[in-house]
Formats: sequence, C-alpha cells, structure tokens
Amino acid sequence: MKKMLMVVAALLTATAVFASGTSEGQAQAAKGGKLTLMQNKPEIDAQLKAYAKLWGDKNGVTVTIKSIGGTSGGMGPQLKADYAAGDMPDIFAFDGLESYKEWEGSILDLSNEPWVSKTSVAFKYNGKVYGFPVAVEGWGMAYNADMLAKAGIDPKTLVNLDGYRKAFAKLDSMKAELGINSVVSMAAAIEMGWVTAHHNFNSLLSNGLPYGDLSVVNALLKGDVDMQRLKEYADWVELLFKYADKTVLLTGNYDAQVGAFATGKAAFLHQGNWTDPNMKSANATFKMAFAPHGSMAKATDGIFVAAPSFYAINKDSKNLAMAKKFLIDLVTTPEGHNYMVKEAGMIPAFSGIDLNPDGQLSKSVQQWSAAGKVYSWNQYYFSNDFRDKVLAPIYNQFAAGQITKDQFVDLMAKAFKDNAKK
Amino acid sequence: MTKKSESNLVFWLFLAPVLFAFLMVMVIPFIMGSFYAFTNWSSSAKLDGGFRFVGFENFVKSFQDPSFLYAFGITFVYTILNMFFINIIAFSLALLVTSELRLKHLYRVGFFVPNLIGGLILGYIWQFIFNNAIPSLGSLIPALKFLADPNNLMLGKNTSALIAMVIVGTWQYAGYIMMIYIAAIENVPQELHEAAKIDGATPWIRLKAITIPMAAQAFTVTMFLTLVNSFKQFDVNVSLTSGGPSTMLFGKPILGTELIALNIYNTAFISNNLAQGQARAVVFFLVLAIISIIQVYVNKKKEVEL
Repeated sequence: MKKMLMVVAALLTATAVFASGTSEGQAQAAKGGKLTLMQNKPEIDAQLKAYAKLWGDKNGVTVTIKSIGGTSGGMGPQLKADYAAGDMPDIFAFDGLESYKEWEGSILDLSNEPWVSKTSVAFKYNGKVYGFPVAVEGWGMAYNADMLAKAGIDPKTLVNLDGYRKAFAKLDSMKAELGINSVVSMAAAIEMGWVTAHHNFNSLLSNGLPYGDLSVVNALLKGDVDMQRLKEYADWVELLFKYADKTVLLTGNYDAQVGAFATGKAAFLHQGNWTDPNMKSANATFKMAFAPHGSMAKATDGIFVAAPSFYAINKDSKNLAMAKKFLIDLVTTPEGHNYMVKEAGMIPAFSGIDLNPDGQLSKSVQQWSAAGKVYSWNQYYFSNDFRDKVLAPIYNQFAAGQITKDQFVDLMAKAFKDNAKK
Repeated sequence: MTKKSESNLVFWLFLAPVLFAFLMVMVIPFIMGSFYAFTNWSSSAKLDGGFRFVGFENFVKSFQDPSFLYAFGITFVYTILNMFFINIIAFSLALLVTSELRLKHLYRVGFFVPNLIGGLILGYIWQFIFNNAIPSLGSLIPALKFLADPNNLMLGKNTSALIAMVIVGTWQYAGYIMMIYIAAIENVPQELHEAAKIDGATPWIRLKAITIPMAAQAFTVTMFLTLVNSFKQFDVNVSLTSGGPSTMLFGKPILGTELIALNIYNTAFISNNLAQGQARAVVFFLVLAIISIIQVYVNKKKEVEL
C-alpha cells in the first residue's frame, strides 16, 4: 500500500513539473504573445510559414499558420471546430458575402487601418471595411500559346461560343500532331465541384456585364431566370465537356487536371493564375496566357479578376495589436512585399508595391487588368450549400452524360427557383 | 486499510483513466449533442437572433431531405454487401492459413497488414489504382483494352463506385476478421476432427458439422464488428469517392455514393447546419443501436442452438 502511494505521488509530481515547465517556457519565448492565422491556399503554405517565422522573430511573436483548402468544404469545418472549442484564430480568411455573414459576430471593423486607402478591393459591408484583400486573382481559359500557334489559331478570336467551337474542332482534329489527349483539361468530379459550380458557374453570373454589375445575380436570387442567357451558358458547358478528357473530367483531382495541361496533354486549362506554382514545379516552360470564357453568343472580351479572399481579424483576439501589425507589415515592409509577390507569386491588391510576379499566368492577369478588360467574381453571393450540394451534382451528371443539355437547363432553372423560395 | 478495500482502491485507480476518457470523449458529447439536436446551434458568429429551441424541426427536415433517405438506403446496401464479402473471404483465408500450408505464418501477417493502413490513405491509394493504374494496365495489355476506356472507370458510375468501396472495405477488414476466425478454428478440439476422420467424414462435412458450429461465438463477434464498421464507414468514402458520381432521386440530383456518416458531415459543415447534422447523428445512432441489438440477439440464440 505504501509502495503504491509512493508510485502515484511520484507520477503526479513528474506530471506537475512537466506541465508547469512547458507553459512557462512558452510565455518566455514570445513576449509579443501568440498569433494564429488560418487561411485557405495550401499552395502558399510553405512560403507563408517562412514569412511568418521571419516576421515573428522580428516582432517577438510566435505565429502559427494553419492552411486548409483545395477540397470540398475548404477551411470551413476546421474554423467551426476551432470556434466551438474557443480556439478561434486571430486572423482568418473568408471569401465573400455569405462567408462574412457566417462569421459576422466575430469580425473586427478595420475601416481605420492605414492600408485601406491603398486598395480598391477591400471587403466592405454597410460602408465599413471588414476584409484585407489577400491577392488579386484571375481566371479565364488558360491556353498553350505554342500549340495554338501550331494550329494557326489566333487567341484574339477566342471571345465567344463560335470562336471556341471553331478552335476546339480544329485542335481536336490535330490531336495526334500536337501530342495531346484532349483539347481541354476540365474537371467535374464531386470533389472538384468548385471548378464547375463555383468558377464556371460565375460565367453565367458576370460574363459580359460591367464590373460590379449584380443584375443577373439579383435576378437569380429572386428566382427570375433569363432562359436565353442560361441556354447559351449551357451550350458553353456542353462544349467544354465535349472536348475534355473523360478520365480527368469524371474522376480527376486537382493535380490530375492541372498536370494534364502542364505536361502538354491538353491545350486549354479551366483554372486560374493560382496554378503558377504548380506550373513551376512541373517545369512547364511553354508560353501560356489567358483567353476569355466564350460563354455567350456575343463577344465577351475579358477575364474574371477580383480579390477572392480576405483576411479578417477576430474581434475577440487576445493579441489585437499584433494581428493588426501583421496585416500592416504585409503592405508596408519590403519583406512583406517580397513574400506576397516573389515567394507566393500573388498579384498584390495594393498600390505602392513595385514588384511583379514571375508566373506567366499572373502576368497575363495583370495585362488584362491593366487594359481594364475584367469581369467580376459573383459566385460568392450564393451560399456554399447551394453551390456544392445543389449545383455541383447537376454539373457532374451532365458531364457523365446522365442528363441531356435540356435537362441540365431545366434542373438549373429549378434549382434557382427552389433557392429563391428558401 | 483492509485487504478488500485496498484491492477495491487499486481496481478503481486503474479503471479511472479509461473511465475518465470514456466519459469526456463519449458520454458527455453524446448527451450535449442530443440536446443540441433540438436547437438551432450552428457554431458560427451569425447575427440572426441567437440560440433557441426548435423542437423536432431538425428531425422533420432531415426526413424530408431525399439525400438523407438515400444515404440510409445506400448504406444498407453497402453494409450487406460488405458483411457478406468480408466474412466469406475472411473465413476462407482463415481456413487456408490454419491448414498445413508452408509459410502460413507469413500469410497470416501479410493478410492482416492492410488493416493497419489508415482509412484516408487507403482511399487515396485505391483511388489512384482505380483511376490510373487499372486504365494504364488496359493500355498495356491488348486483351484488357476495355479497362482503358474512360467510360469503364469504376469510380465514374454509381454502381461500380459502390462496388469499388466494397472492394476497398473488404481489403481493409478481411485480415482483421480473419484473425478472429483463426482463433475460433484453432480452438476446435482436435479429438472431434480425428473422430470424424475415423468415421470417414470428408473435409467438407467436417467443416459443415464441426468447425462452423463450434465457431458460432466467433460469428456473433464478427457479424457485429462488420455490421457496425460498415455502417459507420467514413474515411474510405471521403477519400475514394467524396460522395461519388451524382444520381437522381425524386427528380433531384444528389450525391450517389454518400454514406450516412458523410451525409451527416456534409450537412453539418458544407451546409453549415450543425444542429440538423446532430439530429441526423442521433437518428443514425438509434437505428444502428437497434439493428446491432437485434443482430447480437439472433446470433446468440443461434449459438445456443448450435
């Protein structure tokens, strides 16, 4: 009995010593406290972690970076779990109005921050600024310029359904010569629902409309469907699916889709300039740039450019001063600029930054931007639930040939009407 | 302290950590969750009037959702297929490995190893096999050309995707269940077999009349394990098919291979409806509890008869 008690006492003492030891150690290491940042771009995780360490050492703060993304759901579930655990990050990324509403009660008003005057794309709601734009991103139809030149196709004709029909038919007939498996690398599997139901869906919402025009969005939210516009859009979707590699279309994941284009097995890629790091690691050195989406009968000469995600500061953060400083330093210090543009390859959303990203696709986005030929990103006016659980299966069935184009149009129209009733 | 109270103390002291963990991780969340199922809890910072009771609304809405009903149906089908194949294969492997085979110990370990690979990794490996390895096999061997045709990809259609999940589930669990059968088969007294051999019984009759009845207890355990594990399948579902190709039910497109656990997860986190996800989880628990109680009861009765 005595022996027993001694063993238990020894165990308890050891545990107590270790427990107190670690918490003391942590408090000493970071006089500036701790900072946690959760974001949704795993492709820049390594670079962000490196910058965070650099910044943390300089400012005496221990920074923890959590990166989740690229699959359905993204960082939503983890953020909810952390919120329920009382462990909400100090800075977290969100992507638009619906996301903002989800976390409204926790987001700090940043209208008086010094960087607000340097950007035109900060997230605003009711006249106040709530989101720090992470980067300017864009997507269109990325094309392999060398292959198009070989086929004698002028990228300037790729602005509407007709132009793409001719180009795709021509490239399809030259598949063996060009060494490609298919003309387009497109993905429509359920786990890639964000390619169809988020990005491609946006063509319906904003292609051909002035930047910031929400007329189509508002009509659809009310259940008011412009059948002519929807039918033309369905033609575009059908065209993409027809000329896509079936394996990648139905079962490919992100790496499979981007890889097909990067290794020269497809002439077009339905993705954005965030794939630049992937192109770099695949050693894709051929000339590439963006062409508009030809989702309408009329010419739509522009690609989709916006600041798609924003950093919000948690109102109840225990380290507000440092959280604010982290964001300010990204915009005002040379290390911040270097990280944003050179390391992470992002196009900065702020003025006063002289560096330019290296990736070809990012340069292409900048060219379209500079020419003012841009359309907005409007998909975030529809909830995740609607896009992932209602729209994505419809695209998936259409891609698999289980429904016809007319059924696709009917199901999409019905989906909007049902959504308006909620 | 008396001897009795000392041994009592030791008993509870050693049991305490496990009881504590069970309480914190299983009992308390279960009670809290069942409570949340009757509210509009959503673990987000929405400004919509806050927390309130909604009675049975979450349950009613769940039963009106075609994807939930479909998930139950498809999980039943998957469970039945999985139980059948796992047990048949595990029993056959157990017989193989307890016979007079060289290297049988090596085989035992080999068959068991797949069970050690975690569910997600397993799913991603098999996804690669189904999407890339098998089609490339088709393009290498002319006789198997149909494999390389994108229309024949297993994960591209609903029924074959479900079968793919059964294949992966079987591959993972057969080894584990095999271990249980091995123990049962080796526990059959040798005298019974020798007596039967003297009477001229063939190996097949010996199997039917001696081995299987004596292994009845093992059947209760294995049936229970395979039933519960198949019903709760999540990791392989997410990584292999992510809910899989879409299909139609009552005129609405839904996910085609979304088992219940994935449906609950999607409701909670994609639709941002944690309270409804919780309600579905409560229903899931009740259904599974009733089914497994029935299964154990039936099996136990059979045990006594045999």
